[in-house]
Amino acid sequence: MSETLKLGDLEFTSRLLVGTGKFADQATMLAAVEASGAQIVTVALRRFNAAEAMDDLLGPLMQIEGVTLMPNTSGARTAREAVNAAMLARELSGSALIKVEIHPNPHHLMPDPIETYEAAKLLAAEGFVVMPYMPADPVLAKRLEDVGCASVMPLGSAIGSGQGMSTRDLVALIVRDSTIPVIVDAGLRAPSEAAAAMEMGCDAVLVNSAIANAGDPAAMGRAFAQSVATGWAAREAGLMARTDRAAASSPLTSFLSDSA
Amino acid sequence: MSSRPAWLDPRPYAALAGSAGTREVTAALTAAQPTITDFAALLSPAAASHLEAMAQRARELTRGHFGNTIQLYAPLYLSNYCTGGCSYCGFSSDRHQPRHKLTVEQLATEMKALRAMHIEEILLLTGERTPEADFDYLNRCVADAAAVFPKVTVEAFGMRVEEYSALEASGCTGITLYQETYDPTVYEQCHRWGEKRDFAFRIAAPDRAFESGLRSVGIGALLGLADPVSECLALYQHVRHLQRRHWKGGITVSFPRLRPEAGGFRSPHPVDEPFLARIIFAFRICFADVPLVLSTRESAGFRDGMAGIGINKMSVASRTTVGGYEAGEAADKGQFEIDDNRDVTTFCSMLRAHHLEPVFKNWDAVFR
Repeated sequence: MSETLKLGDLEFTSRLLVGTGKFADQATMLAAVEASGAQIVTVALRRFNAAEAMDDLLGPLMQIEGVTLMPNTSGARTAREAVNAAMLARELSGSALIKVEIHPNPHHLMPDPIETYEAAKLLAAEGFVVMPYMPADPVLAKRLEDVGCASVMPLGSAIGSGQGMSTRDLVALIVRDSTIPVIVDAGLRAPSEAAAAMEMGCDAVLVNSAIANAGDPAAMGRAFAQSVATGWAAREAGLMARTDRAAASSPLTSFLSDSA
Repeated sequence: MSSRPAWLDPRPYAALAGSAGTREVTAALTAAQPTITDFAALLSPAAASHLEAMAQRARELTRGHFGNTIQLYAPLYLSNYCTGGCSYCGFSSDRHQPRHKLTVEQLATEMKALRAMHIEEILLLTGERTPEADFDYLNRCVADAAAVFPKVTVEAFGMRVEEYSALEASGCTGITLYQETYDPTVYEQCHRWGEKRDFAFRIAAPDRAFESGLRSVGIGALLGLADPVSECLALYQHVRHLQRRHWKGGITVSFPRLRPEAGGFRSPHPVDEPFLARIIFAFRICFADVPLVLSTRESAGFRDGMAGIGINKMSVASRTTVGGYEAGEAADKGQFEIDDNRDVTTFCSMLRAHHLEPVFKNWDAVFR
């Protein structure tokens, strides 16, 4: 039995988290979510629209069995706004999971490390299972861990860019020292990149654009699920050490142990 | 004549827009970080034969950043009183048409009608500042609207920082304010009297809006007033200026084209649909993450074609008359003629047929 993904008191068997924006229609989004087998699905509070079923993302997601919602605070520019959004989202969704997403620049959408840290601290104290979307900064990762976050979610590259793991070396540093799950969020384009992230030690990945903008979103959701599972299985199996020179299968020094 | 700030001067790049060849156009289409040089190439005559390639690139970028969605909003005209002398506008104070403004009750009726159409984002409009529809009137309307809609923006007159701050406090998220023309000579000719004659005051209004804490500013040039290539080059520089100066500022760009209006103004530099499309593609290629807006001034066919291919935000079922949705006597002729008259349901069916999801609510009052 493979180890589960633990976030606060919650446990999950799937290590693929998915987003719900950018889809051509609600049915496509729901089919992709189901096909991905994701147990954690993020949805922006600003897209909650209880009054209009056709425009609402929250309602239909709540109907999928086995899915835990992770509302996100996208739209917030400050810690205060993110905290307010988180409170409202918890009330409306009933979920304690919150993805802290604070990107004051509405164009490049890069997360604000200072406001994210402040919001995470406040929300952790309020009993949320805090999942901060963050720059791939190893120092910030430890600071977020210290204030009680349930995970850290460093970006692979810019949201929606499909540039893959351009922050690979920094994420490796985060992974090396983290005692909470490390979830790569944003920028992944291909399932192979998700597998690689898992193999290098990440605990999960979050994917949205790569699935929503695929030719067949449900099939891509399935492909990501398989490759995340494969990456995790490879990590559990224990990857051989990397070396910069050939290692002979018949070592030159075998005579020494033979003679012993 | 009002002076134009040096950073806005399109002339250093205008020659490029005239002389670029296929090599420059191809380079612009594949540039990782396009510059104004690339932008100029995309507006050049040589780029006209690359329209399809530009559309393909624009579509890819639009879908990549904004997904398979179109954000919808509707304008709500509060008043057509105006002290302005804009020679091209149906609201201009020398146009003879009935003038009125919405009462508190009429505004409520209009908003109810828009809510029934599922609208979640509205743009409140007035003419230039008048005693009938002054700042206090507008501000009161914003507060009323903010109680009903998650997102309220304003397109009115240029304001002072304190006024923008007051709008923000009343629940306004952003403003739209077109410079109309970036050519100071044409600007002076078109704006015959009133506060709006001050080019410098207007060009700095978006800066003041961001300084006040407002989140978004929509800018644009009224295409048709002056040489469109120069206008677009200046508009490009205006976007870059705002991006550098206001790092938290959300900038949107619209592409209003001169439409027939009550006074019969004729465009001295008409922009046809293929060129308008190319302008929009060029902006998308150079600004992958800036929302680009298209209104119902344009035809249904053009809007259908541009949705998701450069454009990611559109108005729907618009009325440009005061009280046009429900409350109105509908005696006035509106600010300009609407070309796309489809209702929300019909328009959304078209979007879905194009595999685009109409998004009504993309904001929340909690962020105020």
